[in-house]
Amino acid sequence: MSTAVSSTPRRLDRLPGGSHVVDVGLLLAMRGGVARGRAARRLGPVLVVVTLAVAVVPALVGPGLGEGRALEVLLLLPSGYAAFAGLALASAVASGGGRELLPRDQATPYPVSAATDHLGALLLAPLNIAWILQAWLLLGGTSYAVGPARLAAAQTVVVLWLLAATAVVQVLAWLIEALRRRPHGVWVLRGLGLALVGAVAALQATGRTEDALDGLPTDVLVRAGILGDTGFGGVWAATVAGLLAATALAVVAGAWAAGVASRRPPREEVRAETGVRTPRRAPRGDLGALLRLDRASVWRAVPMRRGLVVLAVMPGLVAVLGALPWESAIILPGLVASGGALLFGVNAWCLDGRGGLWRESLPVRPGLVFGSRALVLAEALLLASGGTLVMAALRAGAPTPSELAAVLAAWVVVVAQAVAASMTWSARAPYAVDLRSARATPAPPAVMVVYSTKLALTTTLTGLVLAITAHAPDWRLPLLVAALFLAWSAVRLLRARDVWVDPARRAVVVTTVSA
Amino acid sequence: MDVHDLVVRFGPVLAVDGVHLVAGAGASTALLGRNGAGKSTTMRVLAGVVPPTSGSVRVAGIDVVADPLAVKRAIGYCPDVGGLVPRATPWEHLQLAARLRRLRDWEPRARELLERFELGAEAHRVTAGFSHGMSRRLSVLLAAFHDPEVLLLDEPFDGVDPVGVEATMDVVADARARGAAVLLSTHLRELAVQACAEAVVLRGGSQVARMDAAAMSGEEGARVYRGLLDT
Repeated sequence: MSTAVSSTPRRLDRLPGGSHVVDVGLLLAMRGGVARGRAARRLGPVLVVVTLAVAVVPALVGPGLGEGRALEVLLLLPSGYAAFAGLALASAVASGGGRELLPRDQATPYPVSAATDHLGALLLAPLNIAWILQAWLLLGGTSYAVGPARLAAAQTVVVLWLLAATAVVQVLAWLIEALRRRPHGVWVLRGLGLALVGAVAALQATGRTEDALDGLPTDVLVRAGILGDTGFGGVWAATVAGLLAATALAVVAGAWAAGVASRRPPREEVRAETGVRTPRRAPRGDLGALLRLDRASVWRAVPMRRGLVVLAVMPGLVAVLGALPWESAIILPGLVASGGALLFGVNAWCLDGRGGLWRESLPVRPGLVFGSRALVLAEALLLASGGTLVMAALRAGAPTPSELAAVLAAWVVVVAQAVAASMTWSARAPYAVDLRSARATPAPPAVMVVYSTKLALTTTLTGLVLAITAHAPDWRLPLLVAALFLAWSAVRLLRARDVWVDPARRAVVVTTVSA
Repeated sequence: MDVHDLVVRFGPVLAVDGVHLVAGAGASTALLGRNGAGKSTTMRVLAGVVPPTSGSVRVAGIDVVADPLAVKRAIGYCPDVGGLVPRATPWEHLQLAARLRRLRDWEPRARELLERFELGAEAHRVTAGFSHGMSRRLSVLLAAFHDPEVLLLDEPFDGVDPVGVEATMDVVADARARGAAVLLSTHLRELAVQACAEAVVLRGGSQVARMDAAAMSGEEGARVYRGLLDT
C-alpha cells in the first residue's frame, strides 16, 4: 500500500496556541479534499483577480479625491464600514456562532478544541457571498473615492478593517451563542432583537437616522487613509496599529468565547429534537403525504427557521431604513431567495438524512417525490422573500401598475430560478450533511461560494432587468419578460427532474446523502 | 425472490459480482460476509433502491428493472444505515408508508408494533433524538408493519438490546408463518442461525457458499464460516 507523507508538522506545535493552528490546517486540508468540480477549484484565483481589479480600477477611472461623485461616495464610506460589521455579525449569529470546519457529527471522535473551532469559523467567515460582495463594495468604493495617490494607504486600512471587524464580530457571535444556550436565553435574545428594531424605528420616526449615521466612529478609517499627500502619516500609522491590535486581541478573545459557548448545551436544538409533536390526521393524497414530511424537515430545523427569518427581516430593515423605492426594492427578493436556497435547497435531498434509503423503498413515482421537494423549497423562498417585500412596502409608497407588475414578476421569477438551480445541483452534486446544527452548510464551503455567486449573479441581473421594465408605460411588459424567464427556469427544472427520475442517477444521490 | 448472476458496479468499483439467490414463500435466508462483501448492495437492489448493472432480479415474481414500483409495493426494507427521516416522528413515518402503500385501518397494527418494540412512548417525538438502537428497532418495525411479501432486513440487530432482538425475531417468525420470504443480513452469526433456515455467504462481491443455517451454528459453525471468509 503506497501513501503520501502523512505525519503532522511538529514545529508549530511548540508555539503557544500552535497546536490549534496545526489542527485548523489539517481540517482545512480534509475539507478542501471534499470540494468537487472545476468551478470550486478555480475559485481561489478568480477571487484574487476580481478583488485586485475591484481595489485598483475604480481609482484609475474615477474623478479623484474630493471631486464630483467621489466626494459623495467618500461621505457614505463610514456608514458602509459600519454596515459591513453589522451584517457580518448577523451572519455569524444566524449560523450559531460561525460556520464549522468539520461537521459536528464527524468531529465527535476527534479532539477538536474550541480554539480550533473558533479559528476555523474565522477562516470560513469570508467564504460567504455576502461577506465577499460587501468587501468588494468597500474596496471599490474606497478606491473610487480616494483616487490613485492615496490608494495604497486607504486600501491597507480597508483590508485591516475587514479583518478586524470579522474577528471582533466573531467574538460577539460566540458570546451571543453562549447567551442563547442559557436557560431562557432564546427569549432574552428575542427581546434584544425587538429592542434593536424598536430603536431603529424610533430613530426613523424622529428623523435622526442621518445624525446617528454621521456619528459613527468609523469615519476615523476614512480620515486615516486620506490625510497628507499619500495617505501615509501619523494618523494612518496609529489606525493601522490599532486595527492590528484589535484583530490580535479578538482572535484570542474569540477562542475563550467559543469555549464558553461550547460548554453549554444547544438548548433550542435539543428541545426541537426531543419535544412531542401533536399527531395530525392522515394526509389525503400521496402529494399531501410527501409534502407533510418535507415541510417538517424544513420548518422543524432550528437553523432553517432562524435563517429564513433573518433573510426576510434583514433586507426588509434595509429597505425600511433606506426608504427604498419600488425600482430598488425589486432586487431584494432575488437576494433573499438566493440566501434561502443556500440554507438547504442546493442539496435538497440531504433533508432526508439517513432516511433517504427508506423513503426510496416506498412505492411512489419519483417524479412526485421531486415535485414535492421542489414545491416545499419554493414555498419557503416565496414566504421569506414575500416577507421582505411586505416590509419594503411600508416605505416604498403606492406602486404604479407597472411597478406592481414588475415587483410581483421579480418575486416569482427569482424564486423559480433559485428552485431550478437548487434542484439541478441537488441531483448533480449531492453531499451527506447533517443539517441539525445551525453551523452546518449543505455543501463544503468552497462549493457554497460557487453556488452563492451563481445564484446572486443570476437573480440580481434578473432583478435589474425587471427593474427597468417597472418604468414601462404598459404594465404587461414586466409580465411578458417574466414569462420568458419562467419558461427557461421551467426547462431547467424539467431537466433536473429527468436526472432525478433516472434510477441509476437517483441511486447515487440517495446512497450519497444517506451515507 | 429469484436472483441470477447479479452484478452491480459503481464506476470502477465492482460491488456485487455474480450473486445467485432463490428463496420461496416462507423461506428465510441469512446473508453473511465481511464488510464490503456486497450484502447491503444486494439488499438495495432487491428493495428497488439501486438498479442492477446486469443479471436477472425478480422479487415476488416481479422484475425489479421492468417494474420497480410494483417491487416496492411487495417488499418491506430495513436499510443498514439509519433509515429514518431525522425531523419526522415514528407516527409520521407510519402515516407516509400507510398512505403510499394504500393501507386501510392500519393504526391498531401500528400501535401494537410500536408497543412490541417498546417505542410507544416515543411515537410522537422526532427521530433525530433517538439512540442508535431505537432507530434500528423503528426501522425493522417500518419494514414489517404492512406485512410485505418479501421482508428485507439489513443489519437489524446492530446495537439493539435483547428486547429489540426478541421483537425482531418475532417479526421474522410471523413473516415466515404467513408465507413471506425473509432475507436477513447480519454479522451476528448465532442470531442469523436462530432466525433463518438457510445461509448464503458472500465474499468480495461474489457468492462463495450456500448451506443450511444450522451448519453455521456453534464452534464448528464458526470454524466453517471463518474458513469461507478466509479462503
